[in-house]
Amino acid sequence: MAAFDREIVELLPRLRRLARALTRSPADADDLVQLSVERALGRRDQWRPGTRLDSWMFRIMKNAWIDETRARSRRSAVLAPEEAGDRVGEDGAAAMQARLEARAVEAAMARLPEDQRLAVALVLVEGLSYGEAAEVLEIPPGTLTSRLVRGRMALAAQLRQDEPEAAP
Amino acid sequence: MNDPNTTHGMTPEERLIAYLDGELDAEARARFEAEAAADPRLAAELAAHRRVAAQVAGAYAPVLDEPVPPHLVALVTAANDRAPARAPSRLGLPQWAALAACLVAGVLVGRLAWPQSGALAARDGALVARGSLDRALTAQLASDEGPIRIGLTFRAADGRYCRTFADPAEALAGLACRQSGRWLAVTTATLAPAAGAAPAYRTAASETPAAVLAAVDALKAGDALDAKAERAARDRAWVK
Repeated sequence: MAAFDREIVELLPRLRRLARALTRSPADADDLVQLSVERALGRRDQWRPGTRLDSWMFRIMKNAWIDETRARSRRSAVLAPEEAGDRVGEDGAAAMQARLEARAVEAAMARLPEDQRLAVALVLVEGLSYGEAAEVLEIPPGTLTSRLVRGRMALAAQLRQDEPEAAP
Repeated sequence: MNDPNTTHGMTPEERLIAYLDGELDAEARARFEAEAAADPRLAAELAAHRRVAAQVAGAYAPVLDEPVPPHLVALVTAANDRAPARAPSRLGLPQWAALAACLVAGVLVGRLAWPQSGALAARDGALVARGSLDRALTAQLASDEGPIRIGLTFRAADGRYCRTFADPAEALAGLACRQSGRWLAVTTATLAPAAGAAPAYRTAASETPAAVLAAVDALKAGDALDAKAERAARDRAWVK
């Protein structure tokens, strides 16, 4: 396998994680990963060796996701059935708590506008610096900052609401 | 140093989030911390946002441990089998990549994480900064303190931003240049143990090994950026 292909395979877990943060269900996430990998393989000649493959792949995924959401004219009305519940039976109480918290995050992320969710996902989920995230999204650093901050404010407000003991 | 531009144009929210994300320079960071210490409401805001950041990261982290569906792996391997002729030829590498590979191979000295652990990772014949070194090169100023220290920042004759660094924990010093969104190591050298012994009294510039300084000269660099230009370049995310 060429180095390019090997590295894409190595990136699959991170691509799945980013996709999970962008989409509304694990199935949609893996569809997005598939679409992104197909596009990447079709454009392998455009990748310059020595540059970051992860950023390049994230950018492809970003564009694929934007195309996808435009094409489907938002399916926000029809939330995909949540498939994450199938492991609950074997989880302990702590794991259940983590699942509930994760579910709250997923719901809050789903409410964000697309551009804010992309910024939040790249910085908080993938751990990119502001500069790297701006490059992936192909936007100026100032735009990245303002989308990121608006997203973070909305998430904080949403998650605070969900906390039962958070009453001031 | 008192640069009023550090937080110029930032809203209080932007500043708080940038602080949490480690995107403020040392001076702005210290100022923010002093304010938060004196303002319980700001401190509470900070704690709330720190918790949100941890929750969001934590919510998606388990995905990394999930088995990757075989059909996704098969996409790559199958494409490979179908069109072996399309695999990019090593001979087709752009000249700079081949040149960079020679440079890196020629100057590797001393203890070096190869190919995939520590501060540097091999990527197609080039060494790139990763993890904390990548973050330090991207975000840190020479005036900032931290486990990794940044020395000179300058523009190479070819226009790339380049920075020298010293990482005592890895006994590693070197020169890296910004290219296509990552830091390519041009030279690395072992950081003398003496330099690591008294980090508080040294700057990365004074402890830069001769091999690294020679590499700086070899890039036909102009003068090093001053603190203001360094910060401006960093704030533009090293985009030329």
